[in-house]
Amino acid sequence: MKRHTRLVLVLSLLLLLLAALSLVTGRGGQWLALPSDEAEARLLRLILWELRLPRLVLALLVGAALGLSGAVLQGLTRNPLAEPGLLGVSSGAALGAVIAIYTGLGFAWSLSIPLLGLAGAFGATALTLALGGGGGVLVLILAGAAVSALMLAGTALVLNLAPNPYAAYEITQWMMGSLTDRSWHEVLLAAPFVAAGVVLLLSTGRALDALGLGELQAASLGVDLARLRRRVLLGTALAVGAATAVTGAIGFIGLLAPHLVRARVGHEPGRVLWPAALCGALLLLASDLATRVLPVQPELKLGVLTALVGAPFFLWLVWRMKRVAP
Amino acid sequence: MFARIVCAAALLAAAPLTRTPAAEAAPQRIVSLNLCVDQLLLQLVPPERIASITWLSRSEGDPELLPLAQRLPVNHGSAEEVLASHPDLVIAGRFTTSATRRLLQKAGVPLLEIDPATDWEGIRRTTREIAAAVQAGARGEELIAAMDADLALLRSRPAHAPVRAIGWGGAADDVPGRDTLFNTILETAGAINLGARATGPASFDIEQVLRVQPQVLLRGAAYAAAPAMRNQIAAHPALRQQHYSVITYPEAVYGCAVPRAAALAVQLADELDRLRQKP
Repeated sequence: MKRHTRLVLVLSLLLLLLAALSLVTGRGGQWLALPSDEAEARLLRLILWELRLPRLVLALLVGAALGLSGAVLQGLTRNPLAEPGLLGVSSGAALGAVIAIYTGLGFAWSLSIPLLGLAGAFGATALTLALGGGGGVLVLILAGAAVSALMLAGTALVLNLAPNPYAAYEITQWMMGSLTDRSWHEVLLAAPFVAAGVVLLLSTGRALDALGLGELQAASLGVDLARLRRRVLLGTALAVGAATAVTGAIGFIGLLAPHLVRARVGHEPGRVLWPAALCGALLLLASDLATRVLPVQPELKLGVLTALVGAPFFLWLVWRMKRVAP
Repeated sequence: MFARIVCAAALLAAAPLTRTPAAEAAPQRIVSLNLCVDQLLLQLVPPERIASITWLSRSEGDPELLPLAQRLPVNHGSAEEVLASHPDLVIAGRFTTSATRRLLQKAGVPLLEIDPATDWEGIRRTTREIAAAVQAGARGEELIAAMDADLALLRSRPAHAPVRAIGWGGAADDVPGRDTLFNTILETAGAINLGARATGPASFDIEQVLRVQPQVLLRGAAYAAAPAMRNQIAAHPALRQQHYSVITYPEAVYGCAVPRAAALAVQLADELDRLRQKP
């Protein structure tokens, strides 16, 4: 308990530090200069309040959603490779959002973007769980891969049919994931759904702990497995679906965060949840900060950076699994 | 529609009559594979000598040439399409696919590849190059003379403080920088291109756009009717709260080495003058 509390404290402190850093750092590592006249002060307020603050809030929300859902999915599947991206949740959300954007529906009615994102996430998660839910770890991962492929095919189709050639370019950019130029509008769109999803996911801790002992043991402890699965499905689709709908696909945070904290708090899934959420937010914020500071032109996309860091970790994880369980 | 067909038929029927002996050797079935070449070709030769232009010119070309472009056959850049129209000259941009190049070579069709130009001298060069290839040298010189007249007109105008401008279409978009025709047009029209700190295209986020404090945001008007994120970007609250004017411009002409670019520079200069007079 003490180690758990200490970790949460340390992560929160780091998060505060990075949040402050993120507010004063612009693209190209540009710091905030103190304004010398009224016009500059106005510009500074505008940049801080309308650009950097919503971007920061979104980074925290989305990072926490990804980290937490990764931890819950790993607990539910008892598989260290599970994450929202691998189960098709992210690509389902992306498909929904892309449909909303490129039919023009998203511009006529802005709520349609997160709503279709959610619908896509729900559809994809439900399909993955239906296909691979009862069949063990390998079947679940394969089901996730198949569903991801289906969702990506759908996205490619929408792109193919988009009437505006810029749309194809934009959506490939958008699929790379980014927090650049988001506003409070996006925060308000995503926040209610993400918050509901996070609350739902955090409530699964005890059931996941019981499940860690085995399905029969969990059932004997009074855990309703079907209900737990539905709750995880709903929570993940809400949190990740809404997050992806406003930021584009950002992978590997959900995979990395739980692993990074597990070394400190142990393997009980319930204890991993809070630290994983904080760690996810920390990772995403640090990545976003890196995309701004790294001298790359054009801007390095957030999702590209997380994938560059996350994919080698994934490889290492597979390599280690192979060694531990030949 | 029927009137259009009749009109085209009339043009085709008239073609052999107007053909002079000197034009006998001139290419009569010209295919263009490049949006910019389209704009020049439409001004250089009569439409009956054009076998096809790119499909882009039907919607994204020079607004003044759209009615003409919409009457002509179009291609989508595929080698098969081009060969099927039996061209006697193909004009393309510098980046023709090697497959198309090989096929044209096999079929014995001459291919002219045009380098993009970024300044007035480059436009003169390109115009003469294409005019020579289609044997319309005199028409080419007419176009260049009109361009030079426009440029002289701009030089003779009283000098004003340059207007701070940036070309910016949204997050996924590039900002035209130095060494672009966009930059040349802006400077000729009496504006400072705030994107010029980078060579070629740069990318700016909204914060960077706000920081350079533009008086004018120049927005490309390509595909404005079809939904895309770039058409929504001005809706960002940070941009809505800042004071600047928006001028939309035909991207095809600002990015194409055609003499008409000078006429557009005059148009832009007029718009900038109107802005200066606003309180």
